[in-house]
Order: sequence, then C-alpha cells, then structure tokens
Amino acid sequence: MKLSYFWIVAIILGLSFSANAQNELSPERKQAVDSLAIEKVRDLSKYISIVGSKETPWSEANRVIDRAEELFMTGSEIGVSSITKTEISYYSVRKYFERLMRLNYKKVEIEWYNIEYMSDLQKQPDGTYVGVITIFQKFKGYDAEGRLVYQDTTKKDITVYVKRKETQIGGRLIGFWDVLLGDMRVKETSK
Amino acid sequence: MKLLIKNAAKIMMFLLATIIITGGATSCKSKKKLAREKAAAEYATKVEQSKKDLTAMLNGTTTWTLDEQDARLNTIKSYNIDDAEVIDLISKVETKISLDRAEEQRKSEEDRLRREEEERIENAKSKYQTIDNLLSNIALSQSVETANNQIETVLNEFATPDVPVLIIISNAGGFNDYDRPTTISKFLNYLKDKQQYNYKVDIVKRDTLGKIIELELIKKVNK
Repeated sequence: MKLSYFWIVAIILGLSFSANAQNELSPERKQAVDSLAIEKVRDLSKYISIVGSKETPWSEANRVIDRAEELFMTGSEIGVSSITKTEISYYSVRKYFERLMRLNYKKVEIEWYNIEYMSDLQKQPDGTYVGVITIFQKFKGYDAEGRLVYQDTTKKDITVYVKRKETQIGGRLIGFWDVLLGDMRVKETSK
Repeated sequence: MKLLIKNAAKIMMFLLATIIITGGATSCKSKKKLAREKAAAEYATKVEQSKKDLTAMLNGTTTWTLDEQDARLNTIKSYNIDDAEVIDLISKVETKISLDRAEEQRKSEEDRLRREEEERIENAKSKYQTIDNLLSNIALSQSVETANNQIETVLNEFATPDVPVLIIISNAGGFNDYDRPTTISKFLNYLKDKQQYNYKVDIVKRDTLGKIIELELIKKVNK
C-alpha cells in the first residue's frame, strides 16, 4: 500500500516537473519564440502590403483582413499618422484595414523595415511573455499619372503577447506558443 | 720373436677394435645430444615467438585481423607449450579475441541499424518531397490565380480543408514547441500571401482512403 502511494507521488512529481520544464524556456527555445513573434509582425507587414495594394482583388483583400485580425488580441488598436496632421488617430484592426483598402490613391506601396525588439519578451506573473517590437514603415501613394503624391516614414511600436497554451489534435495534447499582437502605437512620423 | 709379433698384431687388432667401438659409441652419443640441443633450441624459439605473438595480440599492437589472430592462437595452442606464462597469455588472448569479436559484432549491428535508419530517413524524405514541392510551388506562384489553382489541386490530397497543420518552431531540449495550430486551407493561403516556403514536412497522417488528415511541418531556422 505504502509502495502504491510512493508511485502515485512519484508520477505526480514527474508530470509536474515535465509540465514545468515545458513552460520554462531555455535560451534556445526562447530564441525560437522570439523569432516566432517577429515572424508574426512580418506577416502583418505582408498583409498590410497586400491589402494596401490596388492590384489585390477585393475577395483576396477581405480574406487577408480576416487573417490579419487573427494576429491581434481582441480590442487592439492601430495608430495612423500623417505629416499633414499633428494628431494620431487610432482604429480597430478591421477598421484600419478597411480604411487602408479604400485609400484614395491609384497605387500604394507600403514597406516595413528594421523590424526588431525594442523590449525583449519578459515573463509576467501570469506566465505571459510581453515585449515590444519596433518597425519602420515607408508609405508611398501615387496618383493616376503615376506621380508620387504622398510619402512618409513612420516609426511604430507593437506590443506582443506570447502565452503557452494547449489543445487536443488527433487525440494528442499539443502545447503551442500563442503569439498575439496588441496595440500598434505611432512613435514618430517624418517625410 | 714370431710369437711376439703375432701377439703384437693381436693386441693392435684389439686396440683398433676397442678404438672403433669406443669412438663409434661416443659419436652416436654426441649426435643425440646435438639433436636434443637442437630440439630444445627450437622449442625455446617457439616459446619465445609464441610469447611475443600472444603479447602483441593482447596489447592490440598486431595488424592481424581477428581471424588471423584466431588462427595464430590455435597454432600456438597446438604446440602444447608447457610454460606458465604462455598458458596464462593463451587464456587472456582467448578472452580478448572473444571480447573483440563481440565488439566487432556490436559495431557491425550498429552500422546495420544506422544504415537502415539512414535509408528510412532517405525514404521518408523522398516520400514527403512531393508534398514539400507542392507547398513550395504555391509560395513561388507568379500570380494569385496560379496560386489559387494550385491550392485547389493540393486540397484534393487532404480529407477536408480543415485538416490540422502543426508547425514545430523548435525541438530543443527534447520538447516540440509549436506555433498556433492552423488548418490546411488557411496554411496554403498563408503560403500564397507570404510567397515563401520555409518548412519541411515531418509527419503526414492519412485516412484509409489515402487522404491526409494531419500534417506536421518543421519550420526552418532563418540564417
């Protein structure tokens, strides 16, 4: 009987150690998670570029907006600035993309560069890792004659939230890192 | 006088016969001795050579193969050398050859298993290469229309458009860390949007009809 208790305790300890070991990140695993978060920001960059492009079919743009929304936490906002205005407007993710799709230019080019961590992912008391990624966005708008009528460069900070979650797939318990983007705040805008 | 000469001749004959008999016996005795000495010397050489060979085999300083060592050991054993050192060396060499043979068999078995594993991986690679190529082609499509046509074709390989796709982002420390699971339909469109295929198919699960019901990919590390 005592032996049975011993094994039960040993198994519980073993399972809790295994679960804890999976949640604790080694530098190698942390690097993979860091890269995953950066990749999500790159995905957003691609989606903005696709939706902003006037050559993208309407159905494709709408599909991409759905995918883009999935990258964000519910209620996240995206800041929009202009060199002609001092105030910064914040929109919900869907609203931002819908406005982007309807921009009054014949051709739009949006390029993101220097995508890097401004603040590394830090573990919070609830187990969520939070960090800030900075990006630079170059926006160019052309008229029907192909003339560049507007351009700016904006520095933006995106908060990223990474949390380990579990789900059942094909009878297997899969532990995955859920990366969600938070608010995208405008830091600087220049010509 | 005649008698003296006659006796002297007899004495001489007797002496001659004695010398011949004595000389002959001495010569015979000397030959046997020489033969004995020669045999002893040969034996001593054999013992010394045996010790030398056995020590070399024991220390592993010989270039002989295990079969050659076995043959040499059997030859030495056939000498029936009555020498404590040789007997001890024979016993040790027998043990060593036996251990070496076991080690050789272990290595040979390891090599066989390694070759089988390499063959299995190679087969798996070529087995999944087709799927990797199909996915890569979507990412490399020149237009949205081409990509959409390819997505339609690839989706036929899957049981439903909602088949789960798991992406391993790291397998460090013996754990598989996954990205958020997605569906094949979303993943194929993602490849079209990203225009990049930085993955490798790792596991493909199929149903009885041969349709894919689960796909697991490994994300390649960006260098």
